[in-house]
Amino acid sequence: MKRLAQELSLEGQPGAFAGSLMNSSADLVARACQGDQEAFRLIFERYSRPIISFIYDLVGDRELAEDLTQETFVRAHRGLKALREGAKLSTWLFGIAKNVARESLRSRMRHQQRVELDDAAVLDLSDRGPAPVDQLLDRELNVVIRRSLAALDDDKRVVFTLKIFHQCSYEEIAEITGFSIPKLKTDLHRARVEMRRRIGPYVRV
Amino acid sequence: MKCNDCLNLLEQYVDGEAPERDAEQVSAHLITCADCAREFETFTGEQEIYARYDRELEIPQSMWGIVAARTVEHSASEARSRSGSRQWFAGLFTLPRFGFAFSSAMAVLIVAAALGVIYLRNHKELNPPLIAGGNNANPLSPPTKTTEETNPPAIETSTPPISPRAMEAKTSKSNQPARKKSVAGDQGGVLFTDAAYTDIEDRDTASHLEKAQDLLISIRNIKSDDDEEIDVTYEKSESRRLLNENIVLRRDAEMAGKFPAKSVLGSLEPFLIDIANLPDKAPAPDVRQIKDRVQKTEIVAELRSY
Repeated sequence: MKRLAQELSLEGQPGAFAGSLMNSSADLVARACQGDQEAFRLIFERYSRPIISFIYDLVGDRELAEDLTQETFVRAHRGLKALREGAKLSTWLFGIAKNVARESLRSRMRHQQRVELDDAAVLDLSDRGPAPVDQLLDRELNVVIRRSLAALDDDKRVVFTLKIFHQCSYEEIAEITGFSIPKLKTDLHRARVEMRRRIGPYVRV
Repeated sequence: MKCNDCLNLLEQYVDGEAPERDAEQVSAHLITCADCAREFETFTGEQEIYARYDRELEIPQSMWGIVAARTVEHSASEARSRSGSRQWFAGLFTLPRFGFAFSSAMAVLIVAAALGVIYLRNHKELNPPLIAGGNNANPLSPPTKTTEETNPPAIETSTPPISPRAMEAKTSKSNQPARKKSVAGDQGGVLFTDAAYTDIEDRDTASHLEKAQDLLISIRNIKSDDDEEIDVTYEKSESRRLLNENIVLRRDAEMAGKFPAKSVLGSLEPFLIDIANLPDKAPAPDVRQIKDRVQKTEIVAELRSY
């Protein structure tokens, strides 16, 4: 449950020290706009984990996700002054991350490379010694979810990831993706159906 | 609420996006409908599965360092380009700034002027004005051979050695080094400072006026109480030479529009003419008349003030 709370909360990042929690996103943005590098570091600490998770869900490559996360924050730093007043920082960052990931995916498509999940390491369970059944099940489930996500088309994957893993509202998803609410509802519904078909046995277990 | 309506809203209900009124109706329906409740449990079961999803991702320690370096580098380059473009743009609308180059040039000019003044002063001291020098250099001394050649033969033949009065005047001047120095100092330091010479012409004029001033002082110092004839041979020849020079300088000053110089030279000219027209052995009344005019008109002061 603790990990769940960490995953679902964008504002309370593990590792982010108490001082950072006392800074509102608006304050951090204002300070970072003035050139306060420490404020931007706090923004990074607060949002780097959800951003890298989101990107990883989209691109399915660990190293690439790290590189694209860096790129996301660099772009965010450059465009911080363009962040309109009242806009939610997490939504804005997810929007940048989505664009960065999409650019990367298009680039890879041009180079005729298939987008594959790097789950070989996850599947390689033999060298990890005896593990509890639940742990094995979790590892297997991780692979299944990862593969199921990779099987979704881009739009469904983005919507599903933002809603299920990052608890974004429909409005926020619409803002991040640029989709209309009806479209994203449809995509989300279809993504759920597809995912259910794949992970259904695990749910019943 | 019917089951179809509930199932249609169930997804929004699970997502927390159903309107409040619909959410209340769905909640009430789920209590009474086992099928719909089972569907709801499937959704919540999926949510739990997704919540257990662990990507096994960690933020590398080096990531922030890389991001920070890139952002700092970008900020610096942006500042450079902004500064460069601003300077370029501002340069289009600003007057040229001389700054260091201008002040350096001014400093060089000032040093050069100071060196020039020192050089000219030293040069003057090495070649003092004739009136302040030794016997040979004294304008009151007999003219040199060159001067004699330019003088009319009548004057030349009638030119005696320097008169006792002139010698006395000369001696009295040469015996008053302090006073002479003071005059020279006034001339060099205040009235005829080299720094005031803007060109060669002005320097010639100043030199000419200085000599004329000496001549007039010499005339003013002549003792003319007796009715004896006074030997003014030297003064006469000097006056002729200065008269020719004066005419040329006055015309030049007039042509150049230097009216103060022209005025001074114009005031000086009648005296030079009168002196030049004196006989070698001038009657004392004639000399006295000139002396009186020199004193009354304060021509010497006028020459000094120039």
